[in-house]
Amino acid sequence: MNKIFYPKLALTNLKKNADTYVPYILTCIGSIIAFYTMISFYGNKGLDEMPGSINLKTILFLGTIVIGIFSTIFLFYTNSFLIKRRKKELGLYSILGMEKKHIARVLFYETVVVTIVSLTLGLLGGILIGKLLYLLLLKLLHFTTPIQFYIDGRGLLITAGIFLVIFFLTLLTNFIQVKMANPINLLKGGEQGEKEPKSSWIVTLFGIISLGIGYGIALTVKSPVEAILLFFVAVIFVIIGTYALFTSGSIALLKVLKKNKNFYYQSRNFISVSGMIYRMKQNAVGLANICILSTMVLVTISTTVSLYIGQESMMRDMYHFDMIVVGENTGNDEALVAESIQKTAEQRGVNPTDQINLRLGNLTAFLEGDHFMPDLVAKEDKDNNYYTTKTDVWLIPLEDYNKMSDTSTDLNENEVMIFSVGDNYNQKTMTFGDRSFSVKENLQTFPLNNKKAELVGKTCYIIVKDEGVIADIQNNLYPDNNSKSLLFGKFFNLEGNDEAKLAFSENVFQQVEGINPDIDKASYYVSLTEWYSIFGGFLFLGVFLGTLFMMATVLIIYFKQISEGYEDRDRFEIMQKVGMDKAEVKKTIGKQILMVFFLPLAGATIHVAFAFRVMAKMLAAFRLTDTGLILICTIVVTLIYALIYALVYWWTAKAYYKLVK
Amino acid sequence: MSLLEVKSLQKIYTTRFGGNQVQALSNVSFSVENGEYLAIMGESGSGKTTLLNILASLDKPTGGEVFLDGNNIVKIKDSEISAFRRDNLGFVFQDFNLLDTFSIQDNIFLPLVLSQKPYEEMNKRLKPLSKKLGIDEILPKYPYEISGGQKQRTAVARALITNPKLILADEPTGALDSKAAMNLLKIFSEINEAGQTILMVTHSIAAASHAKRVLFIKDGEIYNQIYRGSMNNDEMYQKISMTLTVLATGGVKGE
Ligand SMILES: Nc1ncnc2c1ncn2[C@@H]1O[C@H](COP(=O)(O)OP(=O)(O)OP(=O)(O)O)[C@@H](O)[C@H]1O
Ligand SMILES: [Mg+2]
Repeated sequence: MNKIFYPKLALTNLKKNADTYVPYILTCIGSIIAFYTMISFYGNKGLDEMPGSINLKTILFLGTIVIGIFSTIFLFYTNSFLIKRRKKELGLYSILGMEKKHIARVLFYETVVVTIVSLTLGLLGGILIGKLLYLLLLKLLHFTTPIQFYIDGRGLLITAGIFLVIFFLTLLTNFIQVKMANPINLLKGGEQGEKEPKSSWIVTLFGIISLGIGYGIALTVKSPVEAILLFFVAVIFVIIGTYALFTSGSIALLKVLKKNKNFYYQSRNFISVSGMIYRMKQNAVGLANICILSTMVLVTISTTVSLYIGQESMMRDMYHFDMIVVGENTGNDEALVAESIQKTAEQRGVNPTDQINLRLGNLTAFLEGDHFMPDLVAKEDKDNNYYTTKTDVWLIPLEDYNKMSDTSTDLNENEVMIFSVGDNYNQKTMTFGDRSFSVKENLQTFPLNNKKAELVGKTCYIIVKDEGVIADIQNNLYPDNNSKSLLFGKFFNLEGNDEAKLAFSENVFQQVEGINPDIDKASYYVSLTEWYSIFGGFLFLGVFLGTLFMMATVLIIYFKQISEGYEDRDRFEIMQKVGMDKAEVKKTIGKQILMVFFLPLAGATIHVAFAFRVMAKMLAAFRLTDTGLILICTIVVTLIYALIYALVYWWTAKAYYKLVK
Repeated sequence: MSLLEVKSLQKIYTTRFGGNQVQALSNVSFSVENGEYLAIMGESGSGKTTLLNILASLDKPTGGEVFLDGNNIVKIKDSEISAFRRDNLGFVFQDFNLLDTFSIQDNIFLPLVLSQKPYEEMNKRLKPLSKKLGIDEILPKYPYEISGGQKQRTAVARALITNPKLILADEPTGALDSKAAMNLLKIFSEINEAGQTILMVTHSIAAASHAKRVLFIKDGEIYNQIYRGSMNNDEMYQKISMTLTVLATGGVKGE
């Protein structure tokens, strides 16, 4: 046979099956673009110069892996759909006398065409779209320095390599399919074995229990740490439950309806119930996929958007002041720091406000009842448990307290006031070694901090009569330690434009570092830029993956509609011949399709509703505790998603009705 | 009055984009009496299916009239046509046209459910019918689980269960082997004996030889017809094949 016969036949086949192959090739191109974009960002040297780049790079690396795995699964899924549709055609070739070897050759050339088209367009698209997304990423990161965008040669090679392997594997599975099947099976491939769907009460029950456990975990999670640990356990239970209920539960329910003769043999129910049983059986797995994907989209985008929007208020919680400098009062450090702050402020045109200068003592201890026990844990033994149980104690002389909070309270030698972050200090007394005090007042507000609980460990501020008492406490708790000097603390806010504030903070940091590296310093603005890179990275990845999952959802729906359309076309005709109204047939089928396709969305919405608590707790681990904000973000994201979903449905339904007509 | 009266029926197919016109029926007139068993024969492309589709009110003629029990079915409103078809006509097709979504029993029930009959009544009708057609064992099965002959008998049961005035069958034995075909024809003869009017389109001489009258169509027109009279099946067979030979060699209209 002529050498170009097979390539030609392959091309004709692709053209003939355009309504399924075009979306398939688009899927391939989309996956390649997504993968290349991620991997080229990961390899981008420019991003290394950004503060917090290590976190961002980790996020991007994870993203690359997720997209790789996801693309593989998804391309296999769409490929299996295509080959099922085409079995009939291949069977015909075989009956017309084409050997399996020849069929394989046709398949090979088809794959070659798909591969060349997808890789060329995908990589070109990746370079172009990658550039656009890169600009978006920089914007999200609040990173203004222009970074040279470049074409990542290594990324291109890796992408091409990975997708060549994927295409080769799909071709291999197609070969195996053709090899295993005899022509009769091939001919009937599309419509083979539409068996009465099995519903198993055991599987259904299992699904309900599994979903119940997943939801239960989600609803009872207490702490943020627990939320992060248990989230994935809950996710697995919910996924299992979803699959079990979609595949078995839906059919079991419909069969109960069918058993009720008086209900079932009503003309409307008769057709819907049996039609739904049939559809659910064919679509259950696909619908469960859509449900899970949709849930992932909603959770990912809602959390990342919440984080991004909420980050400034989160940072505000952590940083009660724009800038804090705390150091040991050795030499004239304090004076030098004060001078540096003043000079830099003038240079940068910012104005320090709300200044609080005070003396304070600092120690860590373990609180047992009303006893503060000394912290004698060796450095190498400081584990997770140590950090969650220790208490940071700040001791402040009454005079400084009265000054900063504008009060005139009195304390005697044996009295203290306490401000405890998080839970109140509930004892009437407190003891450090041999020294005991009675608690005069449990403060509810405090100029230096807010009441919101720390995530790890505890913090309290204790106001005592004077510096002598502070020294006394330190001596009683740690008699052997001789570096018990008093600290100086400078707390202040900044006025001026954002860039100047950041520049001011960075300059002061540098100078203080020069004065004495042991001085602690913290700046809201410096931290904010670091966190932007993390949350901006998260948001970017969230939206990116969300979009990808959504594209996958769209394609699954499209493929489903097409395959339904082919089958319904015949049934549509028969029903009319048996005496059903054209309009009526159209209405019932339309209703079924509507139900089938909105079921996953409903499922996803319920999942998200149950997941909300866990999401909120997890975000609390990032110090985002504004539940109202998270709720609004989640609702808005869900609404937008539902809208897009409806549009996709509308668009694919048009393709469906075109087939049915 | 005849049960079915067809008057100078004409059908011209126009392809969608104007262009070619195909005259499928040019001038067809005949009538069917109550209790008759009529077979229609003719070469491929002679317009048999077209005729049947018009009688079934699935398609509209371009000219002429069709009266069923005195009602002109060409003039029935679109909104009433489905109900009319359900209540008056039963269909048996070459490719069965059973729905995979329903069990055999539900396939048979379909037209009754559509006319909103209660379950008890449907069941009462099904029992004797399924026994007579020999499908009472397979009622709970699904179409893809049974043989072609069983499928066709299911289709017959579905056509009969509404007690239609007229059964229309388009090559009902076309997809069956000779044994299953004979079985089906026997059933047709039996239900005809019991008073059911049948109109059957067929290519098979054996099938046609069961009928009481055979109508031959050529180029969209009635070419000839044969009455059984007192002939038995074999004599009928002879006569039909003779007529077909004449028809094929291009004989002139009339005998
Ligand atoms: N929908 C249609 N549009 C255009 N032409 C049609 C259509 N249906 C049938 N025809 C034409 O009308 C003529 C009669 O067709 P019909 O299907 O009635 O033949 P038939 O006698 O049933 O043939 P067979 O024995 O092969 O089934 C044929 O020439 C056919 O090509
Ligand atoms: Mg025909």
